[in-house]
Amino acid sequence: MASGTVEMATGAPELAAERAVTWPKRTKARLSNGLEVILAESHSIPKFHGELFFRSGNAAVADRTPGLAEMTATLVRTGTAKRVSRQIEEELRRLGADLSSNAGADTSALSFAGLSEFAAPLLEMVSEFAREAAFPDAEFERERRQKLEEVKLERTQPGFLASERLRRVLFGAHPYGQVSPSEAQVAAYKREDLQAVYRESYTPENALLLLVGDFDSQEMLKTGEKIFGAWRGKKPTAKTFAAPPNPRGRRVYLVHVPGAVQTQLLLGCHAITRQHPDWVRLGLTNSLYGGAFNSRLVMNIREDKGYTYSPRSGVSALREHGYFSVSAAVRNDVVAASLTEIFYEMDKLRSVPVSTAELADAQNYLSGVFSMGLATQDGLLSQLSTVALNELPDDYLETYRQRVRALRPEDLLATARKYLDSANMQIVVVGDRAQIEQQAMLFGEPEFYDVLGARV
Amino acid sequence: MKRLQIAMESTTLANGLKVVIAPDSTAPVVTVGVYYKIGFRLEPPGRSGFAHLFEHMMFQGSANVPKMQHIKLINSSGGVLNGSTSYDVTNYYQAVPSNALERVLWLEADRMRALKVDDENLKNQRDVVKEEVRVNVMNQPYGGFPWLDMPPVAFRNWANAHNFYGDFADLDAADLTDVQAFFNTYYLPNNAVLLVLGDVKAAEGIVLAGKYFEGIPAGAAPQFADPTEPEQTEERHGFVEEKFGTLPAMAVGYLMPKRRTADWCAMALLDQALHGGRAGRLYRDLVLEKQIAVEADGGIDDVFGYNGPTQMTTRILHKPEFTNETALAAFDLVIREVLENGISADELEQLKVKWRSDYYATLEGGRGGYMPKYGLMHLLACFTLFDNEPQLVNTILEGFLNVTREEIQAVGRKYLRKEKRAIVLRNPVKAGSASGAHAKETA
Repeated sequence: MASGTVEMATGAPELAAERAVTWPKRTKARLSNGLEVILAESHSIPKFHGELFFRSGNAAVADRTPGLAEMTATLVRTGTAKRVSRQIEEELRRLGADLSSNAGADTSALSFAGLSEFAAPLLEMVSEFAREAAFPDAEFERERRQKLEEVKLERTQPGFLASERLRRVLFGAHPYGQVSPSEAQVAAYKREDLQAVYRESYTPENALLLLVGDFDSQEMLKTGEKIFGAWRGKKPTAKTFAAPPNPRGRRVYLVHVPGAVQTQLLLGCHAITRQHPDWVRLGLTNSLYGGAFNSRLVMNIREDKGYTYSPRSGVSALREHGYFSVSAAVRNDVVAASLTEIFYEMDKLRSVPVSTAELADAQNYLSGVFSMGLATQDGLLSQLSTVALNELPDDYLETYRQRVRALRPEDLLATARKYLDSANMQIVVVGDRAQIEQQAMLFGEPEFYDVLGARV
Repeated sequence: MKRLQIAMESTTLANGLKVVIAPDSTAPVVTVGVYYKIGFRLEPPGRSGFAHLFEHMMFQGSANVPKMQHIKLINSSGGVLNGSTSYDVTNYYQAVPSNALERVLWLEADRMRALKVDDENLKNQRDVVKEEVRVNVMNQPYGGFPWLDMPPVAFRNWANAHNFYGDFADLDAADLTDVQAFFNTYYLPNNAVLLVLGDVKAAEGIVLAGKYFEGIPAGAAPQFADPTEPEQTEERHGFVEEKFGTLPAMAVGYLMPKRRTADWCAMALLDQALHGGRAGRLYRDLVLEKQIAVEADGGIDDVFGYNGPTQMTTRILHKPEFTNETALAAFDLVIREVLENGISADELEQLKVKWRSDYYATLEGGRGGYMPKYGLMHLLACFTLFDNEPQLVNTILEGFLNVTREEIQAVGRKYLRKEKRAIVLRNPVKAGSASGAHAKETA
């Protein structure tokens, strides 16, 4: 850092003995129709949280058109064989419930929370959405029109424009390469296409029901069998996709937003999935690089230089591929300076082993934050869903901390060299071309794009 | 009906610092917060944005904790931290594994006792704050809408009407003297509450609070400026250009009753009748049925935590083929319907169940899932600083569950009046958008 030595605090109390972290018992079952169920009790509040996942998302139907699973999920809560939209929304409120339906690249999901005293009727409604969605014509037309406005609007958000470009660069024609449909694609959506996706994907054999909260697991299992047991449906056939591109060398992609008063930087390279044996060590390397407030990147370009408010790095894991990325929204006149520091910190981690003290700090951070999932029902649900959807070992939660703590400086050095792929980093720069082009060119021959995603 | 009771113990130290401990051993995690009773509403005139800039300075160094070390000590204990500035309070909070409790208390006490920052720190955080404003407001579609656009239109008292994120000229004008003066005036133990929630025993929490905070000297009770508004007697209007967005936007704000007055509970439920998600009357009518709007949401911001003039604000983004006038007329019809006919017994029952359910959710989490007990901390802090009664957290629900249909209709007629509201239009400047003569009326 430019400021040289870092002063330490004097007199801070030592940490007391660590209290054991005990993850709650999980009850796992497979219902007679093939539906996988995972339950965990958490009695902190008289509520419960749940998700009904389907292991098919936008990628599985991308060969038809992008965003189709997302649109299907949107429609699912707008009408069923038993109820029209208004009745659905009022009934959910009567149960004190929140419910959303959406789809990502790899899964579709109904996410819900409600009072435990009304658990059974809420699950009845979830079952209704999963089995008896009616896709009313008028609802479809309205939601399609809404979606058209949404896809126009997202093109005015620098963060969206950056991630759209990076995903395209890293994944090309692979379904992961298109994060959102175009206006023309939305305009061409057909109700029948959504119904086909629904029939294929929303089946018990393709589903996972996760519930966390204030209930008795054995009773809840009986309730689940009663509500979901008669549902039938096969697992859809798995799709295979062509390998994504593997861009070599640093390249710059400048998305021109006229009048932008700040520049959104987003850099990325291919990395790994959650199942990869290097996942934990990459997580630790990332938290040290730019994944925590106390990380090197944040301390450098925010706390030392004041270039940005919100620098961050992260590892995004999709089912088939993963990628490492670094983002920062910076002042227009420090685009080159920020990129220089981003690469400086990356190359430093790739060259010099971290000290054991810094390593211990990062290990404590990662294992402490991981355990915070225990404190809330939805935090716990999120941890359980990560384990289940990625088919991680049953003891993943229990052993995570010891795996983090077993890592050594040489592990991080090797991990940084392997995955913080400085030489092949793809650099997306979203801002006003006239103000940033010269700076961006210092890092590679730029390609230029407009906000519609067209190369110019 | 299951009721949730929060166990707690509270005390006031000799220096006036209020302390609330809420033990719960569900997880080996403890949340520690310090709330100061000063927000951006009453920041110094000529120093817009200062309360928030000052919040950043609280992470820049204190007597025994040089710059960056507070963050480092929390993160390296396995914890997360942040701070936030709102209208009437500023908070600092962290959630850590409970073995770090004493460390956190020591850190918070050190910066309550003595800030130690220099010009370089101030310049650095001024730059950071400007990028924060750019990323959240100036470089985003509908950035700051309506929370920054509405106050200058709706209010006449500078306290309520100024730019809370700060005009850049005011941020530039702020110097270390301002920082120290603000600290000396407001960051006093007798103007704060300490909250410790989660994996701690009540008695232990009280003892530790005394150990670390008792020695911090009290100061003169701050003299707060008067945030009272002159009586509003006419509908107010404002216009803001939308630089990036594609849709015309509108916000309508009505002045609300003071919190914890007789009308407050009924108004909060009426707010839910209007804004409560997809079942709310405004979303249902404007988005789902008439299909004029793409988004229609809003409500009373931080209903438990305001301590001065506040609005219930509706935010509408509507389709370009409709004019602002058409969207407003549809909005007015929804309001008129509830004023004329009230709400049904069935609707009220639904609202109460949902309110109770949301309240429990607030107590458990309430901030993005990463900060356990943030919501409980916030309620306990506001009930302590504004009401001196943290136990309200266990009793306040009753008032909402006892609201009648008649009360809801009555508060509607009393507060949802045109002469008590302000309207801000934020229409796109780009060609092809709906503003002005290009608008096409199809409704």
